[in-house]
Amino acid sequence: MSLLSLIVFVPLAGALAILAIPKTKIKAIQGFGIAVSSVCLALTGYLYAAFDKTTAGMQFIEQLSWIPAFNINYFVGVDGLSVALVILTALLTLVSLIYSLNITLRVKEFFFWFLLLEAGMLGVFVSLDFFLFYVFWELTLVPMYFLIGVWGGPKKEYAAIKFFVYTLFGSLFMLLGILALYFNSAPHTFNMIELARQGSLLPLNMQIWIFLALYLGFAIKIPAFPFHTWLPLAHVEAPTGVSVILAGIMLKMGTYGIMRVSFPTLPAATKWFLPFLIIIAVINIVYGAFCAMAQKDLKKMVAYSSVNHMGYCMLGMTAMTTIGFNGAVLQMITHGLITGSLFLLVGVIYDRAHTRDMDAFGGLAARFPIFAGLMIIQVMASLGLPGLAGFVGEFLCFLGAFESWPYYVAVSTIGILVTAAFFLRMIEKVFLGPFNEKWAGLKDMNARELIAIVPLAVLTLAIGIWPRVCLDWINPTITYLAGLMK
Amino acid sequence: MTNILLLNPEIILACAGLLILLSGAFICESRAKLLYHLGIISTIAVLGMIITQALMAGYGTGTMWVIDPAAQFFKFIVLVATVFTLMLSVNYTGIRARHIGTYTALLLWASCGMMLLSGAMDFIYLLISLELISISCFILTGFEQKNPRSAEGAIKYFLMGGLSTAVTIYGISLFYGATGTTNLFNYATAVELHIGDPAYIMGMLFILVGFGFKVSMVPFHFWAPDAYEGAPTPVTAYLSVASKLAALGAMMRIFASVIPHQEINITMLIAILAALTMTLGNLTALFQTNVKRLLAYSSIAQAGYILIGLVVAGPIGRESVMFYSLAYLVTNIGAFAVAMVVAGKTGSYEIDAYNGLSKRSLGLSIVMVMFLLSLAGIPPMAGFVGKFYVFASAVNTQQFLWLAILGVLNSVISVYYYMGIARRMFFVGSEDESPVETDIYAASVIAVTAAATLLLGILPETVMRIVKSCVAFHL
Repeated sequence: MSLLSLIVFVPLAGALAILAIPKTKIKAIQGFGIAVSSVCLALTGYLYAAFDKTTAGMQFIEQLSWIPAFNINYFVGVDGLSVALVILTALLTLVSLIYSLNITLRVKEFFFWFLLLEAGMLGVFVSLDFFLFYVFWELTLVPMYFLIGVWGGPKKEYAAIKFFVYTLFGSLFMLLGILALYFNSAPHTFNMIELARQGSLLPLNMQIWIFLALYLGFAIKIPAFPFHTWLPLAHVEAPTGVSVILAGIMLKMGTYGIMRVSFPTLPAATKWFLPFLIIIAVINIVYGAFCAMAQKDLKKMVAYSSVNHMGYCMLGMTAMTTIGFNGAVLQMITHGLITGSLFLLVGVIYDRAHTRDMDAFGGLAARFPIFAGLMIIQVMASLGLPGLAGFVGEFLCFLGAFESWPYYVAVSTIGILVTAAFFLRMIEKVFLGPFNEKWAGLKDMNARELIAIVPLAVLTLAIGIWPRVCLDWINPTITYLAGLMK
Repeated sequence: MTNILLLNPEIILACAGLLILLSGAFICESRAKLLYHLGIISTIAVLGMIITQALMAGYGTGTMWVIDPAAQFFKFIVLVATVFTLMLSVNYTGIRARHIGTYTALLLWASCGMMLLSGAMDFIYLLISLELISISCFILTGFEQKNPRSAEGAIKYFLMGGLSTAVTIYGISLFYGATGTTNLFNYATAVELHIGDPAYIMGMLFILVGFGFKVSMVPFHFWAPDAYEGAPTPVTAYLSVASKLAALGAMMRIFASVIPHQEINITMLIAILAALTMTLGNLTALFQTNVKRLLAYSSIAQAGYILIGLVVAGPIGRESVMFYSLAYLVTNIGAFAVAMVVAGKTGSYEIDAYNGLSKRSLGLSIVMVMFLLSLAGIPPMAGFVGKFYVFASAVNTQQFLWLAILGVLNSVISVYYYMGIARRMFFVGSEDESPVETDIYAASVIAVTAAATLLLGILPETVMRIVKSCVAFHL
């Protein structure tokens, strides 16, 4: 078994093994679940070290015949585009599981679904066969449905089914797009690399329809305006650990899909759609920021800020240059780290105060210095303060897009301003001003929370100061990809 | 001609039915369950014969029927469904001990009719097999004497069934009038002669009605929910799988192979009926609160998806019909088995009975979720590969891309009610938290179907290969 198969199947095997542990042995289940995801993270660590960052091609390839009747292969591999997302997935899963140790309800099922989800997400990022990709894509759906529906907030059931139906709607159209690509290739294949080689030969009309079908699947995941309405609901209702995965990883599946498949496979349609994509990106940025501004609920605010940040990512993608693409991929990574930790931090305060209403707090900075410190670091990173991770990604996205879309970029800067405004206002309301004595009995962050959040904060700083820890891995592939789009 | 021997499996099954009926009169009530086992054993024996003859090809006496791999495939499906049905019946409480012999015999005869149907090449022969199925199934549906719903279902089934048979016979007579034969084998060589003959096309349409009834194709589906709800649950499972798939198999032979529907210009009609079938089935299923009715409407919708493959026809269309049939067989039997177990414990087929099931039996709930996901067409379950196959055939033609798009939209709708059951099992609590136990027969049916559902979803290659060779040999 190759390294990548191991990375995907360790969580899957772990999930099945958890079913065998009696549900009363909570400690054993928790320990085992965390051990499995740690092993997975360690394996991705090895992947990071062993990855050859001088080449743009696929690495760690494994190809086995799976369903020859449809020429479907078990075909996995990573390049610069996916390697960082694989590592991010393993990291955020472990962090979320550690944070979720405080969950006491139906622990066994929780860990089962969570590990299954991890396997699905990792599978999406390593698949190079479109059928396999689709199977993993859908595999993430069911665990997420249960994770939101069982452990979520007051409107969990509605949020869960809305998420499920919405995503399935998109992904089934994606399936039709995949089938259309398959039947228009010769010989028929689901191999993404082969499709990228052949797709550009398709007539424009066909490309546009296929692009639309695929885009529907991807855009709902991103979520790109106007398909974003499931997001605030799902993110807010989901338990903290699950929100982290939703925002940190699952949104990236959309942008990843567009960059992995739509762009290289359908270059003519991509050019045709670019004017629309840029408009959608700008709407995501500006509209998402204003929506976030309007929220009083901390979690909702962070959720809407995701809409805004995925807009930056799309802005970078529409640049069609190395710089823009680099920015987009880096933005996926940093948004995962930053928003992931923001959700965790909101969870920290919610677990204590049982409210997320901004106005209910005040002056927390003096009493809870560790919490305040971490929150301020991540908020500053999110609003793009230089020296922190968020800045690098956003800057590259804007820089890349400015060349071809100066006016749109100018409009997008409103989004940055508003983002800064709502985040700073949040800091002011929650951390500054007079202390609300109602919260006097609360304690600062405990070890479990620190173990979950500090690594993310460290990485946020590290990437901010020395972005090459990420960019060097991404760059060769991105340069190649941008070259294709010329 | 000695090739009546080609019918050996059917003959043996019918004789086994007679034997069981006779023994039923003499066996004491406390041992009557032995008859179920006798039925299971004889069905498995016949199943073995079918498997060993899987690659056989030949024509029956006067070429009234054919034996080809496709026919054997549908016989296999019918027999497997029969075995599962009998196993589920063993601990089903609705059937009185002194009737077990009759019940088992009727099931075997219905299966016998379905086996005959899958090889039919002559309309008279086809009519006889349809009648054998119908009459046996009417009685089976009404088998729960104490349950008025059972009688209601049986009466509705009978009235609608009688009507559709009459229409079919009229269609056959028109067909005979136009072509001078009821035999499809002779006919297939001279198809061009009759194109455009109104009596002939009318005849084919009426025959389509007969099939539409059996397949529960909209608008001939009205009997299905009531009959499904009233019938003893194992019979419901049987009706929704065996009878439907056998009819689809015969429909595929006649309308996609012998007299291709494209040639008589009824393709668009079948396409519209397929579209209506899945859409109406799904939309109505959304509002059901009784699990049997819900699964009944869902099975109408499922028939709609399978019909897409039939509309597309061609090799890939027929392959997809066959693959989907097998996937649907294991999934739907499994779902009904779980429904039966749950109702056995809670005494209710209402959807509320599923509240908090995950706490009462996590295993049963997870398996039920698997079946529901498979019905909804979500990987890595069998139903997904089936839908994938069907949609692939539609996308391949371009002409029927709209059916694939409609199918996709329907799948999205269906998720809502399938997941509605999952929601109750996992999200909703219940006052009664006593564990739900599964008896060994139902448990083995559930285990086998669950394993098959997963296996067909993950490793579909073997079945795809079989299906491809069946279609390649299609006589």
